[in-house]
Amino acid sequence: MITRLFGGECIDGVSKSEVRDLYLVQDKISSVSTDARLDAEYNLSNHIVVAGGIDLHTHIGGGKVNIARLLLPEMVRHGRSRLECTEREWQKIAPLSSPVPGTWETGRRYLEMGYTACFEPAVLPANARHAHAEMADTPWLDTGGYLLLGNDRLLLEWISKGAPQSQINDYVAWMIRAHQCCAVKVVNAGGIDAFKFNQRHLDVDEKHWHFSITPRQILKSLSHAVESLGLAHPLHVHCSNLGVAGNIASTMATIDAVEGRRLHLTHAQFHCFGTEGPHGYCSAAKALADRVNAESNLSIDVGQMQFGQTVTLSGDTMHQFANRKQARPRKTIFQDLECQAGCGVLPFQYRHDQYVHSLLWAIGLELFLRIEDPLRVFLTTDHPNGAPFTAYPHLIHLLMSYDFRMSVFERLHADVQSTSSLASLKREYSLDEIIKMTRLGPARALGLFDRGTLCDGGIADVVIYERCENPEHMFARPKMVFRRGTLVYRNGEFLATATKSTIVANVEIDAKMDVTLRKIWPIHYGYSSDLIRIHQDELLSDQRNIEFASRATKSVVIGK
Amino acid sequence: MICPFCSLLCDANDLNEIDCGLQNKSIVQLAKLRSQLDASFNESVTDTEMETAAAIELLKNAKRVLITGRVASVQTARAAVSLAMKVNGTIDCAEAGHVFKNVLAIQRSGIHSVSLAEARDHADLLIVIGGDALLDDCPRIPNSLNSENASPKTVLLLGTFTDKSTAAWTAAGFQPWSISCKIESVPTALTQWSRATLQFSPNRMTSQLFIAMDTAKYTAVLWSAASLRVEQTDLWVERLLHWIASQNETKRCAALPWTSLDGTFQQVCTWLTGFPGRIRFHDGNPSFDTFTNSYESWLARSCELESDSVVIVIDETAATDPFIAKMVFWLGRKFHVIELTSGSMRFPTAVAGAEVAADIFRADQTLLAHLSPSRECDKSRVRPAAYWLARLAP
Repeated sequence: MITRLFGGECIDGVSKSEVRDLYLVQDKISSVSTDARLDAEYNLSNHIVVAGGIDLHTHIGGGKVNIARLLLPEMVRHGRSRLECTEREWQKIAPLSSPVPGTWETGRRYLEMGYTACFEPAVLPANARHAHAEMADTPWLDTGGYLLLGNDRLLLEWISKGAPQSQINDYVAWMIRAHQCCAVKVVNAGGIDAFKFNQRHLDVDEKHWHFSITPRQILKSLSHAVESLGLAHPLHVHCSNLGVAGNIASTMATIDAVEGRRLHLTHAQFHCFGTEGPHGYCSAAKALADRVNAESNLSIDVGQMQFGQTVTLSGDTMHQFANRKQARPRKTIFQDLECQAGCGVLPFQYRHDQYVHSLLWAIGLELFLRIEDPLRVFLTTDHPNGAPFTAYPHLIHLLMSYDFRMSVFERLHADVQSTSSLASLKREYSLDEIIKMTRLGPARALGLFDRGTLCDGGIADVVIYERCENPEHMFARPKMVFRRGTLVYRNGEFLATATKSTIVANVEIDAKMDVTLRKIWPIHYGYSSDLIRIHQDELLSDQRNIEFASRATKSVVIGK
Repeated sequence: MICPFCSLLCDANDLNEIDCGLQNKSIVQLAKLRSQLDASFNESVTDTEMETAAAIELLKNAKRVLITGRVASVQTARAAVSLAMKVNGTIDCAEAGHVFKNVLAIQRSGIHSVSLAEARDHADLLIVIGGDALLDDCPRIPNSLNSENASPKTVLLLGTFTDKSTAAWTAAGFQPWSISCKIESVPTALTQWSRATLQFSPNRMTSQLFIAMDTAKYTAVLWSAASLRVEQTDLWVERLLHWIASQNETKRCAALPWTSLDGTFQQVCTWLTGFPGRIRFHDGNPSFDTFTNSYESWLARSCELESDSVVIVIDETAATDPFIAKMVFWLGRKFHVIELTSGSMRFPTAVAGAEVAADIFRADQTLLAHLSPSRECDKSRVRPAAYWLARLAP
């Protein structure tokens, strides 16, 4: 299958944006014209041609998503199909049928925005097979997961006993491989486990009551392991003190804890509060942005909040529990899970007239606007925690238009309007920067060197948007989406399914660690370690491939 | 592994090594059904093709379709939901009644819960509510909750437990303490006990109970809705969940609600459709109603329309109380029935996790295990339910 795309402006953040021909030869991109017979060609004048979008932090699989669905059946709006609605009505109801829709809707809606790969950022080890099975049922999207470590009692015990770093490295490698993940995530290092011991607070240099270790030790150890193993994605950290006034101090301490190693701070807007201001909360976005601008080992995703009803789901039971009285509607789920982590689910309404909510909105945008390099700040809403992922086009509009931003700013709580510096930030993102932030940046951050660009030899996940004055309209509905060279979506119609890939890290397992874990796993967990190991054959079922993320080389695909 | 009989983790490496007491009966049952099958079902390709074609024709002409039965594996749950969507059918599993006793309470009030390994490792007090039926259904619970490395835990047995249950917990290394009481009154009693003071305690037993509850650092509360004998179980569960939530204001306490193999269907259905089951599809969109979409309600409503209605009954478990018999009683053979079961004469279906590989959730629905078929089973003889469901799809 060879497709020629001509007349469109190709934007990929690598080469200069220009109108040029692009060929999709089988499942790869080529800029070289071919003598072979074309199967299709499209005149794309007045269109832009970009790579498929990549969401590196969205909760789309695993137990917590399912229990949020279980908790909130009343929030599912009995959907009308696209054909029953006018375009305007569809735009109105389009957000999602529920804050946590089923897998089919998730895949469909991501593809409808031009996204082709998504990453579940909190895969509990015990729950990894579930997460992969659920993501396998999310059509069209390539997927991967970040393994949740840093609250697993086995690791905490080893760190507390002064285990050598090599042992921690081998353990992390074994866990990554056994659970078929591509990165490591830490949520409130040690804090989830501390909450199981009824500890209600844990700062970066505070000791866990039971293990007598600090989050700093855990972060240092895990960031060291991630570097030693050569994982493409840096340690993905949800900092201590989520949403607590003054938590910028613990965010800075978290950065210090990794001692200059690469670090990714996730949903950073929730970790950017100072203590000044009319209600004991203020923005500390400038402090974090300055740090990110100055230190090239740092990257963040924002987790931008949008106003409205959603549901927050997090492994951080300690702070989810602390916020339980803010749940709307007032029902919550908290789980203590498998000596490995936890889970807290709170339905939540973000309101314009609530000071902290308004402040949060402004902080998120401040971070976007103050961080200079779009390859190190990523467009996320931490779906569904800040907002559903369908808010991305709206968010892009906010970033690209100062006037539009201010039109929303004027509706914020008066105290935020009077104290926020957002109005003074006149920066407007260019199209090129948006594409970098949503394609090239995440691809590089995840070690997917054949994605996120339109370079020769790249995977032919290509999206065509019709140019439009309003970027929200443009990014809400692409004209066409190609997955691996096949046209799967055109003008609102889904034309074909796509072979999906599961992206995993290619790490070697130390044989001694395998023997060790076979011996101690049943003692700690009550079952054999063989039970939780996910074999590649399992991932290769259901029209799936496996791809390896790599820091140094191009990703490798294993398929059927 | 996870036992495909009681959905609980076992130390056994193979189906034949499971020692929960249920499997021998089930394997015998299975063998008997298989021999009946061999005697009366000519498993030629032609016959199967004819049966399939007839079933597809039935479905094509049906105005109302119900898919029900015992779905144990992720693979079959996916196929069942997919078929229900394609035929605009209703889907509700056989044991959903028990599952929804907990689900309804959680949907109203939320829950603080704990998984099996966490409770095993961390809880220093276990409160078990119910009666002997709990261990009749899941005999391995005490062993699964006992950690060899931990010191003996106190287990409070509240309800109608006899010496038989006490002995089982003792044998598993626990220090059981049984208090006979009405199960209905347990949530109220726990609330009263935790509000009272030690000085208030009128007798030695209550005093001991106070001490056990007061000194516990992490309490896990276990019940199985399937083996509870109380009216309005969902309301009972909700009151218990309120008590557990209140405990967490100052200490740690969590629920360990036990489910059967139907937990697997509930999980898969939730991620595919957004709802935990009891759904009806219309134009591909699911609608959820715990009453209207129950299989009992569907059958009652459909009595007048039996000729237009088709019921697909799945049973891929090795359960000893055949769901089919219950269904036949219900149906009275009024409806067109397509049976996908291990004991059926129509589409012989493998037992998930025993005769075919399957992904099955553990009973606390945290861990999803990939189970390989038993070495002893003849895997070539039968096909998974998911295969037949895919064949029937229009």
